[in-house]
Amino acid sequence: MTYMIVGASSGLGKDLAHEFASNNKNLILISRDKTDLEYLKSDIILKHKVDVKILPADLSSIDDVENFLRSNEKTFNSLDGLLFPIALMTEKDKVLASSLESKKIIYSNFYSITLLINNTLSINKNKKNITIVGFGSISASIGRHVNTFYSAAKNALETYFESLIITTLNENIKVQFYTLGYLDTGLSFEKKLILPKGSTKKLAKIVFSNLNISGGKFYFPFWWKPISLAINILPFSIVKLIVKRFN
Amino acid sequence: MEKVKIQSLDKNYSANIFVKRPEKYRELKEISDRYEKMIPMGSCSSYVPASFCNDNLSILMTKFNKIIEFDKVNKTITVEAGIKISELLQFTLKNKLWIPQIPGYPSITLGGIVATNAHGKSSAFHGTIRQQIKEILIYHKTHGWLNLSKDENKKIFDLTIGGFGLTGTIVQVKLKLEDFIGYNFKTSLIKTNSLIDTINNFNEENKEVYQYSWNRSDNITNLGKGFIFKNEINSIENSSVDTRGLYHDTNKLESNFKFNLWNNFTIKFSQFLYYNFHLQKKNKIFFENFKKIIFPFSGKEMYFKMFGRNGLIESQIIVPAKKINQIIDEIEFNLKKELPEITLLSIKKIKGECNYLRFENDGFCITFDFVRNKKSLNFMENLDSICQNNQLIPSIIKDSRLRLNTIKICYNAYDQFKKDLNEFDNRRIYRSQLSDILEL
Ligand SMILES: Cc1cc2nc3c(=O)[nH]c(=O)nc-3n(C[C@H](O)[C@H](O)[C@H](O)COP(=O)(O)OP(=O)(O)OC[C@H]3O[C@@H](n4cnc5c(N)ncnc54)[C@H](O)[C@@H]3O)c2cc1C
Repeated sequence: MTYMIVGASSGLGKDLAHEFASNNKNLILISRDKTDLEYLKSDIILKHKVDVKILPADLSSIDDVENFLRSNEKTFNSLDGLLFPIALMTEKDKVLASSLESKKIIYSNFYSITLLINNTLSINKNKKNITIVGFGSISASIGRHVNTFYSAAKNALETYFESLIITTLNENIKVQFYTLGYLDTGLSFEKKLILPKGSTKKLAKIVFSNLNISGGKFYFPFWWKPISLAINILPFSIVKLIVKRFN
Repeated sequence: MEKVKIQSLDKNYSANIFVKRPEKYRELKEISDRYEKMIPMGSCSSYVPASFCNDNLSILMTKFNKIIEFDKVNKTITVEAGIKISELLQFTLKNKLWIPQIPGYPSITLGGIVATNAHGKSSAFHGTIRQQIKEILIYHKTHGWLNLSKDENKKIFDLTIGGFGLTGTIVQVKLKLEDFIGYNFKTSLIKTNSLIDTINNFNEENKEVYQYSWNRSDNITNLGKGFIFKNEINSIENSSVDTRGLYHDTNKLESNFKFNLWNNFTIKFSQFLYYNFHLQKKNKIFFENFKKIIFPFSGKEMYFKMFGRNGLIESQIIVPAKKINQIIDEIEFNLKKELPEITLLSIKKIKGECNYLRFENDGFCITFDFVRNKKSLNFMENLDSICQNNQLIPSIIKDSRLRLNTIKICYNAYDQFKKDLNEFDNRRIYRSQLSDILEL
């Protein structure tokens, strides 16, 4: 069985790659960092003895994604699943971010993902079983003064995955979506946060064990579920004050 | 970026620092290029402030932990420097190979081992990690990516091994591996009655046997009583170490109790128990698992916690064989005079050649752990004089109390190290609290 992991070279992506490989799954790893991908490939092959293919691609560039899709059509035919543990955050991501900056963020965190899914599903003529796993962010629950386009893109991604779940209800396609709180990754490493960070290794194990669930939405770490619920229930005027307090 | 408060393991130094943890080669370069002063950090479990400096950046390398190349036939491996030593062993031992120069705690990183030229229990047989290193890849803010080996950039290669991270970030290391045919260790004990008796009972073995002592230090009459432990790989063909036991996720050395719980009574009590427990085992051969022998402090973190907020002082010195009797006499004399509270006293043999600031030489390596108090500090002052008068080598990575003057006298090549380092990096970009103490 072969799984494609998009955003594999670090953080959750790297741990997912190890978790799947340790369960004997072959891998296709995608990231824009070719050097890191090559080293990750050696590491996984040496430790787990599975087949690993690496395909460098930059999801923040639509040209790159379209080229990638054109030149790797056959690769998508053989897939048993696709996972998107990809997140692009930048320091300049604010309401007044430049068009170039905001495009990059929206493409990486939302639009390019939809293109890859679209491509996979259109190629899947034999209607074979495929699992698609997306990763959102708790930051999508409310607008913010930092990571503005990131949270908007993650919000769009969540809505898109809900549509995907609903559209594929009667098909062989299993879709899962994880809303992630703070994780122990490079993105959050140096930040002092009010709640503990979840382990990406633990999450990778959960994702693997949930692969057969159809149309699932999950929160990780779990305590973000009630928090997200509260944010959605409370009137915006109150949420606004709380956000102001913690920002 | 927010600052983090950090302490050396001996609690003698603390600092507020910035920490970045790159995970990709691009990120490491971007971070190094952006900051003016920095120092690489492994698992930050050193006794001394070697991987941080107040208000400076520490580059935490623990996410650089991949195995890049493995050649079973030629017995070589290339790995990223942030790999924990336990993770590296998990892989190599499955292939009946290992590196024997392993410091006593599993979360210590390969980068930290190379940068301090560490040794393990087999120091008499295998020397220090320098013996295993074939190539190093570093990233330096001004020199960029550099391959180092005996054939390429030799001077920087030599400066980097035991160079305390001052030549830049070690990113990859190619190591020569040694055979480990066996499942666990066969241990035997020799009872000793004094420190001199201990020295006399170290054997010249021509097979691979690791010898080290544990000596009582709880009172003057018992001083030096103890055991020499002898570990031999239990060579069972077609068997390999159960590597699951080596899994080590977190560094448990960070926190301490509020108060010091080591005092005359607790030292006496624990040493009495340890001594009498092992007395039963004398003249017997027994088997001990790999982790227990190689990582003696794993699972015994309580030992460090008990030193409380004030921490401990560790001292390690190398004494040439021809001076050992005289030095033991001088040490005993000063112990009787100052009566410091010693929680650990141990001796092993070591081999090597001291160059630059590397802790290695042919001789006996004596290790003490003290409760940090006036009596211990007085004794240590005397020990420094003994080192200076006899050109013994004190370990820089173990004792943050060491004065520059002592280091200059005991390490002949101090000036050469300083000169070569400044030639390589005249802006002195990579610096730590330790390098400030050493005026490097
Ligand atoms: C319980 C315990 C037992 C020990 N036993 C032994 C022993 O038996 N023998 C022995 O020799 N030592 C021993 N040590 C000492 C230990 O080996 C060193 O302190 C080692 O450097 C710790 O490694 P670290 O990964 O924690 O590195 P840190 O403490 O984070 O750093 C130590 C030094 O290495 C440098 N460094 C770390 N990573 C890199 C990198 N990637 N590139 C460049 N420089 C780097 C740092 O700049 C710093 O100068 C022991 C220490 C402990 C805590």
